[in-house]
Amino acid sequence: MQKTLLTLCMGLLCLLVQAQTPTRVTIKGIIHDTAGAVLPAATVMLLQPKDSALVNFSRSDEKGSFEFKNVKNAPYILKVSYVGYLPYQQTISVSPTDINDLGSLKVKPIAKELIEVVIKAARAPLSIKGDTIEYNAASFRVPPGSTVEDLLRRLPGIEVDGDGNIKAQGKDIKRVTVDGKTFFGDDPKAATKNLGAETLSKIQVYNDKSEQSKLTGVDDGKREKVMNLELKDEFKKGSFGKITLAGGTKERWAARGNYNRFNKKEQFSVIGYGNNINETGVNWEDYGEFKGNNSFNNYDNGDFGFGGGITYYFSDGGGILNNFDGRGFTKNAGAGVNYNYTHQKTKFSSSYFYNQTRLNLDQFTNNQTLLDSLSSFLTTDTTRKVDFRGNHSIGMRIEQMLDSSNTLIAKGNLRFSNSDVTDQQQQRRYPTEGQGLANAVQINNGTTLNSFTLTSAVIYRHRFKKKGRSFAWSGGFNASSSNGNENLNSLTRYLTALDPNDQIRALGQLNDNNNKQSQLKTSALFLEPLSKKFYWETFYNFSSDFREVSKDAFNRLQNDARMDSLSAYYTNQIYYNRLGTSLRYSYSGINISLGMAGLRYDLEGKFANSASDENRSQIKRNFTAWTPNVGVDIEMKNNMYFSTGYSLNVQAPQLNDLQPVVNNNNPYYIITGNPDLSPEKSHQVNAFFYKFDPSTFTNINLSVNYSYYMSRVVYNQTINDSLVTFTRPENISGGSSFGTSLYAGKPIIKTKLTLNLSAGYNRSATPLFINGIRNETNNNSYNGRLGFTVTPNEKLLMTLSGNLNFNTINYSIEERQNQEIWRKGADVSLKWNFAKKFFLESNLNYTSYQNDRFNFNQDIPIFNASIRRLFLKDNKVEMRLAAFDILNKRRSITQNGSQNIITQQTALTLARYFMLSISYNVRGYSDKVKNNGGW
Amino acid sequence: MKKLVLLFTLLLSVAASAQQEGIVHYTRTTYWTKMINQLTFLSKQEKERNAYMWGGRDDWKEYMVLYFNDKSSKYTYSDEKPAESSGYDWRKEQYVVKRDFEKNTMVDIIEMVGKTYIIEDSLGIQNWKIMNDLKDVAGHICMKAMKEDTVKKQKIVAWFAQDIPSNIGPERSYGLPGMILALDINDGTVTIEASRIENKKLTQELDLPKKMKGTKLTETAYEKMLDKFIKEKIKEERNPYWMIRY
Repeated sequence: MQKTLLTLCMGLLCLLVQAQTPTRVTIKGIIHDTAGAVLPAATVMLLQPKDSALVNFSRSDEKGSFEFKNVKNAPYILKVSYVGYLPYQQTISVSPTDINDLGSLKVKPIAKELIEVVIKAARAPLSIKGDTIEYNAASFRVPPGSTVEDLLRRLPGIEVDGDGNIKAQGKDIKRVTVDGKTFFGDDPKAATKNLGAETLSKIQVYNDKSEQSKLTGVDDGKREKVMNLELKDEFKKGSFGKITLAGGTKERWAARGNYNRFNKKEQFSVIGYGNNINETGVNWEDYGEFKGNNSFNNYDNGDFGFGGGITYYFSDGGGILNNFDGRGFTKNAGAGVNYNYTHQKTKFSSSYFYNQTRLNLDQFTNNQTLLDSLSSFLTTDTTRKVDFRGNHSIGMRIEQMLDSSNTLIAKGNLRFSNSDVTDQQQQRRYPTEGQGLANAVQINNGTTLNSFTLTSAVIYRHRFKKKGRSFAWSGGFNASSSNGNENLNSLTRYLTALDPNDQIRALGQLNDNNNKQSQLKTSALFLEPLSKKFYWETFYNFSSDFREVSKDAFNRLQNDARMDSLSAYYTNQIYYNRLGTSLRYSYSGINISLGMAGLRYDLEGKFANSASDENRSQIKRNFTAWTPNVGVDIEMKNNMYFSTGYSLNVQAPQLNDLQPVVNNNNPYYIITGNPDLSPEKSHQVNAFFYKFDPSTFTNINLSVNYSYYMSRVVYNQTINDSLVTFTRPENISGGSSFGTSLYAGKPIIKTKLTLNLSAGYNRSATPLFINGIRNETNNNSYNGRLGFTVTPNEKLLMTLSGNLNFNTINYSIEERQNQEIWRKGADVSLKWNFAKKFFLESNLNYTSYQNDRFNFNQDIPIFNASIRRLFLKDNKVEMRLAAFDILNKRRSITQNGSQNIITQQTALTLARYFMLSISYNVRGYSDKVKNNGGW
Repeated sequence: MKKLVLLFTLLLSVAASAQQEGIVHYTRTTYWTKMINQLTFLSKQEKERNAYMWGGRDDWKEYMVLYFNDKSSKYTYSDEKPAESSGYDWRKEQYVVKRDFEKNTMVDIIEMVGKTYIIEDSLGIQNWKIMNDLKDVAGHICMKAMKEDTVKKQKIVAWFAQDIPSNIGPERSYGLPGMILALDINDGTVTIEASRIENKKLTQELDLPKKMKGTKLTETAYEKMLDKFIKEKIKEERNPYWMIRY
């Protein structure tokens, strides 16, 4: 009995155990394709059903069988992947037995055409989601204007017959939907014949329940092929813009606005501004929004080879950015449009911009001119000038990647400018300090000028099959022409003259100037890798510069008779050739190059009294020079960087200086060109070091540079008894300059207090002949600045700084004239978000100017403050009340000494005014006080 | 006869192992306006402005290599210079990711913020999800898998080759049924894509540098440090990814 009970119990137990599902299980099976062949080395994966997370994977053996031993007994998705087959998927439930044999798994091959799609369409993924096959429309090129039908003809696995009936994998497509919705009734061709191919992003083909079963709700098991056309998001479209209107006291006003529209390929923008508050252009931020992804294209450089060569520079007609120099009052206006197109291998941009500025300038200048060890003279000059300038600028640039190894850039810029300047000056000259007035000049000059400038360049780059070998070629054509009139009037009184005939001299002169310039240039560069670390570079530069200058002077006081001595016609032709080579070591942050170039200038000038005069004298000159060049760049660990270089610079004389023409616009400063000038030659050495700690933002920058001139162009002076200066550019040897500067920043309290400091020392020695005596001017300047940035919290930002500039000027011919010029300044500024959406911004700048020799002492405190409030959702509206120069002290002061002249200049400019402005920004204004951008 | 069979098997195994040794060349592209635009502290206006000004020309390319054999892999910077550099070679921060699947260990040498860290640990399991999409990378048909980087808050998409049975991959990714030939971090902010696979016998390429100077960390400690650094920089409103690898 007991035995039977025991057996029974044990039997029950066994049953229980058997009924209990095993905790561990072995899953196995064999993989066949639909034709029944076994698939060895297929990837078999076990995934979690809820999120497809990978649990385990294995591979089938040569018999196509696989096994997962001793895995947790849980529901899985079993997935099989094999090249050339559709991913196979099967759900596995918890197994009741130790071994879960799935038997034979049949894997379907992918149609051969589809494989080709996957392979051909390289970057574009072909998705297979269950039964759905998805084509990426962008991978199949069709001509612009093609219909969807044209596109379908190109898709592998899809056939379109003459009537437009579509078959996918041999089966008829019964329905075509657009974005999942039926398109204009049941005819599948309605969509494919009418929609443009470029509107599609994806094409999906899948099996769906038949319309019949959808209608009745009874699944008849029939599946029909459906094609869905997914439309593009119509690129990434958007627009933004902002507008500001402001009005103030003293009739001050300003308006500016810009509007942009863009999608993934195109950017279009308009901008406009007008004001009388000395904003001569737009700020950097607005410039960036105007130019869009064309903002940084001005730096295409077609002058290959190391520096120290020809440096004729043609401005590309930017002129959009604010460049007010602090003097005078300006009225400004400007407007422009910009269009950029960026798609795949093409980048195209074009823009048009017009801007104008009318400057009213009143300034007072004190000049002291040293003559020799005993004498100097003082000049005072009161100028009133009205200067109008207008520019039309049209620019275009195209960059085309022809294929993976060829790139072409072409750009051009056209600029039309006109200017109209009237200049009234009262000059007084005093022979030496303390003595009476020697002479007084009243000048009334008027100048009008119309000019046209074209700059254009083509750059072609080619990469060879051999890694690292490359070739580049550039060509450029620049041309300009200008014609202008100068109307010169002056009246001079000589107070020391005894003869009444000499006491007054009048000048009335009309200059008719016509200038033309054209430049053709080309450069080539070849780079050959010698080994992994060594490169050999060869370059060639050529330019041909032609200039034609015609100046006709007429005496208005003598029946407009031609003044032959002041008229001239000449042409200048300069050829420049440079051939250079350098050897470079480049490896792991160390880049060293040693180079040498030979250059030659050929100058040919022809002079005559007038354009019609056939009797021309001729000058032919040429210069050759060898210019070595050394460059070292070393990047080190811990964000340290060091660079140093040496170059011998040869610079052709400025064309202006070569003109053998007398410029008497200022009757007391007569400039005559010198056709015999030779190039400037100098040795230059520089070094730079920087270190940056990204975790704390501590940084230090140190730079040193030194130049020594073997030959230098200076303006030697001869000053006669009437204190008229005759100056002429001439070559002189000697002279040097040295400069060093240090900049450092360090946080003292993390995120709250940062220290910035900078210091610099510059020294220059400039030789010059004055009345035949060689003088050397030594200029030493020292500067230092110490600043703190304080951000106690997110709502407050303060900066405090102090700076000191000290300049000494020593003259070898007369030490008593040595100058000491001081400038001291302090600056406090504050940004405070003091209440929700309310901001206070204020700045106090105090500058003191001092020059004891001129007995000049001036303190200029400038105090600005503004309060603004943001309105509406996203802060789209901003109102600001601003007070500029509350203390009404602003004026522009410059003090400097160069060559034998010490200048101290004061100009009036916009002083105290108040302004109320309102701005609207589609994207809203930032409500942050501190801003690092994304850096 | 038996000898012949043995030789044949040997040859076969040699052939098989030869297939499992070589170098994968990857191109790593950073689209930095996308990177900047993920910073939470930037305003919508600033983000759109960045995208507008740099859109279409914000890519930065680096070249990486993955050395591998049956048992281990080493991922680091390539000596090759990018074609657009015209031969100049800038310093690369130290970045060596070594995986030993036989010993189940990892050694990473990562230079960041001016310091070098050596991360030594055993290999953990990466939580991949397997998707159904197919794509061709460098001539291999790849399947899609996804995982998440919880420290950098990144969505990582990997494309692994169906026909290369190896669980290695670029950057710090591994553990899929096939070799990872492409990675896509956060919707294309950074993409790493194989350009070619070279099968060849390796000599010392898989070895770690003889001198390894740096602070030793475990994977958990490294992640903790990274997490702290990122949070700190975000708080300071500085972009941490100019200082650490994205």
